[in-house]
Amino acid sequence: MVLNIASLLQKSYKENQPKTMVQVLLFLAGLPVHLVVYFIYLMKKKDQTLIAQLDGIRSELSKKHCTDQWHSEYADQLVRKRNFLQEDVSDKEIHKLSEKLAGNRLEEEILRCTEEYLTQNRVRKETYSVYFHSLLKRPEFLLYTLLPGALMYALLLLFSNPFLTYIAERLVQSVLVIVGVAVLVFTILYISPFDPASNILGESATKEQIAAFNQLHGLDLSYWQQLWNAVKGIATFDLGTSFAGNEDVATSIANKFPVTLTIALFSVIMAVVIAIPVGILSATRPNSFLDYSFMFIALIGLSIPNFWQGLIFILNFSIKFNWLPATYSPSNHLSMIMPVVVLGTALTASIARMMRSSLLEIIHEDYIITARAKGLTKIQMLWKHAVGNAMIPVITVIGLLFGGMLGGAAVTEKVFNIRGIGSYIVDKQFIPDIPAIMGGVVYIAITISIVNLLIDILYAFLDPRIRSKINQS
Amino acid sequence: MKKSFNNRHALIISKDYPQANFTWVLSLAIAVIFLWNSFSTKTDGLNPVVFTLFCAYTLTSIFQLFIARKMKKDLLDTGEISKMTRRLGYVQLVSLLTGNIFTAAFAFNLINKRKTPEYTFAVYMLLTQIAVLAISSVNLFKPYVSDTFLIAMGILLLFALFYLVVLILSVLYVNEYSAPRWMSILSIVLMVTAATGNLFALLLGWSLFMKSRRFDSSRLMKWNVMWEKITRNSTAVLGMFFILLMLVISITSRFTFDYALAVENNYGAILQAPSLAYPFGTDNFGRDVFSRIVFGARISLLVGLASTLLPGLIGGFLGAIAGYYSTRIDNWIMRLLDILYSIPGILLAIAIIAAFGANTVNLIIALSVGSIPTYARTMRANVLMVSNYDFVDSAKALGASDFSILFRQIVPNSLAPMIVKSTLTIGGAVIATSSLSYLGLGVEPHIPEWGNILKVGSTYLETNSYLAIFPGLAIILLVLSFNFLGDGLRDALDPKLD
Repeated sequence: MVLNIASLLQKSYKENQPKTMVQVLLFLAGLPVHLVVYFIYLMKKKDQTLIAQLDGIRSELSKKHCTDQWHSEYADQLVRKRNFLQEDVSDKEIHKLSEKLAGNRLEEEILRCTEEYLTQNRVRKETYSVYFHSLLKRPEFLLYTLLPGALMYALLLLFSNPFLTYIAERLVQSVLVIVGVAVLVFTILYISPFDPASNILGESATKEQIAAFNQLHGLDLSYWQQLWNAVKGIATFDLGTSFAGNEDVATSIANKFPVTLTIALFSVIMAVVIAIPVGILSATRPNSFLDYSFMFIALIGLSIPNFWQGLIFILNFSIKFNWLPATYSPSNHLSMIMPVVVLGTALTASIARMMRSSLLEIIHEDYIITARAKGLTKIQMLWKHAVGNAMIPVITVIGLLFGGMLGGAAVTEKVFNIRGIGSYIVDKQFIPDIPAIMGGVVYIAITISIVNLLIDILYAFLDPRIRSKINQS
Repeated sequence: MKKSFNNRHALIISKDYPQANFTWVLSLAIAVIFLWNSFSTKTDGLNPVVFTLFCAYTLTSIFQLFIARKMKKDLLDTGEISKMTRRLGYVQLVSLLTGNIFTAAFAFNLINKRKTPEYTFAVYMLLTQIAVLAISSVNLFKPYVSDTFLIAMGILLLFALFYLVVLILSVLYVNEYSAPRWMSILSIVLMVTAATGNLFALLLGWSLFMKSRRFDSSRLMKWNVMWEKITRNSTAVLGMFFILLMLVISITSRFTFDYALAVENNYGAILQAPSLAYPFGTDNFGRDVFSRIVFGARISLLVGLASTLLPGLIGGFLGAIAGYYSTRIDNWIMRLLDILYSIPGILLAIAIIAAFGANTVNLIIALSVGSIPTYARTMRANVLMVSNYDFVDSAKALGASDFSILFRQIVPNSLAPMIVKSTLTIGGAVIATSSLSYLGLGVEPHIPEWGNILKVGSTYLETNSYLAIFPGLAIILLVLSFNFLGDGLRDALDPKLD
């Protein structure tokens, strides 16, 4: 058992040798182990004969007067080159150059001879990395260093599996992107020419009042301190109090987020349920009347602004026919229909178009023709081979558009008077309430990143093409 | 047997026949919309004007259906459309009087068997001019018109006549690869008239110039093939027509429309229903909604174009650098752009506007920043592909510098997908503009902009719903046109990109 793990670790260590970034990471993770091992290595190295060997070979080679011979050879070549190219080079320069070349050759020769000697006498050239590598092979070493080197071993195990490596890389990437988003949004709001204090306290505020306000919200600190506070606040779900109204921003966001997320989720479900059959129907009958009508409707769906569609829905279904309530209330499930449809329209249209083009492309692939030639019926071919593969780009699009939807929710929420995160951000931007805007935007970006991360990881397990790509790299 | 098979094939590959069907369906759909609107729910009465329009459109559709049937019969019997059927196009041209652009465009298409790009340009140039004249002449019913109205209308009318002459001349004298020499003067005059925004005139002028000056045939063929591909897609041309119509209107409205009617309060005419003087009614300050929508086109087009061009340039540049100098620089640029990419465009725009205030310039910047990554990604993918082509290697072998290889060889050859991408996303920019205005974060509220007009309209939804409906229709039409044009361009330039 221990032996197995030891060989696994050793293999992983060897494979990751060329990757500098990974090496640095491993070294940092196993710093305590490395310090001790390096000390032992230095102690051991003292009785090494390598350096003595090198000196011996050097003196031997120089005794043979090889250098002078090489020197004259190079000089001859350089003179001939000068004559041929009719270059304007002085003898002195040629002398210098040939001397340098001869010197280089001497070094190479020495190295070569040493290598030869070492392989002949079965002595390995010991470097620290090789030494460490050989240590990893021993189970007792592993047991001794288990505690101080736990972090490094965990990393090594992680890197031994390409899937885990891929997931870890994507995770790190997402975290970096989220920090980047926080820094970006904070910087935009920081360099704003507006002064929140005088905006909120009004024209008549005294200097002391403004100073007290700034101190309360930490606005008198330096840029880096404020930035650090903001990033820390996002990570710990503690965004402080809003500028106006003195409410806890994190709690407000936590209250409003589920509303938006529910509507968005239902919209996605609606879009998938409608769009995928439509896309399949269109792709199986390309350029038919049905196909043209579906795609025409989809294009109209893409071209309607959310707020206009919402207003027309309210006008028809609430005012004229009085079927559905015009404003949203969480207790009334009927009031959810219109916002969900409005928010989902553009997504439905995009997915239908994407599904159609993706399926059309796959239907013309060679393996589908093979499947047809094998005698599969059209329907079998479609369900067994085509639809599943066509879904892959569609799912990516859903992931990407989900983000756009959470952003676009602001408009829909305003139309239907929904108290979600979108309308919260819009309301707060008039003040402008920096912690609230920042929190809202960054948490939405985090949600989107998580959704995309999950989709990417899902792929890694589902799509054989991506799987083999990960395994190869 | 063989003959009938050939004829069936002729029906399938015919470009006119599907267009005929498309036209009657569309025309009938508009007729149904008119029928729906001719009955008012409040008064239970019949709106005579709308109902007449419904009748006219229904008649046109039925005639169009008749033409389509006849075309099918001709194609199946003889393999081509007979002269008699083509003459029916002249009759169908009459439908232009009811404002049915679709049947009129089809009729022009049907009349002429031999379709050079010039013919298509000339037809749409003329149609655009007629449409602009029709829209501008609505001002005649107003209590007063702008000082330059008569002169401007006169010039526009002269242009229209000139375009008609050019249309006839180009049918008579222009063929595939050449035109008479004297046409080069004509083409220069045409290109000058394009200053009104009628870019069809510019295209036609340039095309005629190339042919009359006997440019080399490979270039002419390339031009012909490209435009044939685009014009084959009738929805793409209609989209282009509507966009250019908006462009001409937003330029000529400076002279033909009175700005005061759109912005100055007129308490004598508050919240009036649509009438001849106020085709789309008036709003809560008595401002003419029709004029407001016409002036709003200017802002929507300007913001839409600017917030596509700006990120296109910046994103294109970054993407080109990232794609060409791969590994380290690529990684840095793309990871930084990932940050921008993970914030939804509208939210980033809201944050920027919250920080710097709401006005047109900030709106353009806010919308631009969010869409830089999309363009960078498109450009990068193309540059990566084009960098592997042989001509890049030969440029390298000839000793060209990296900079000149990138910007002289690679970038021009990866522009087509960028153009397609920007046409497809410009509609989104127009929607985003009006959405932000609707939220009160876009263009300043006193400026007539479609989102602003809608914002006012949304408060009178119950009583004066037309206030919200008409500007919304304008937005949809413009966005739809850009989407149609983008789809057409994509099919023509880059069939693989989707």
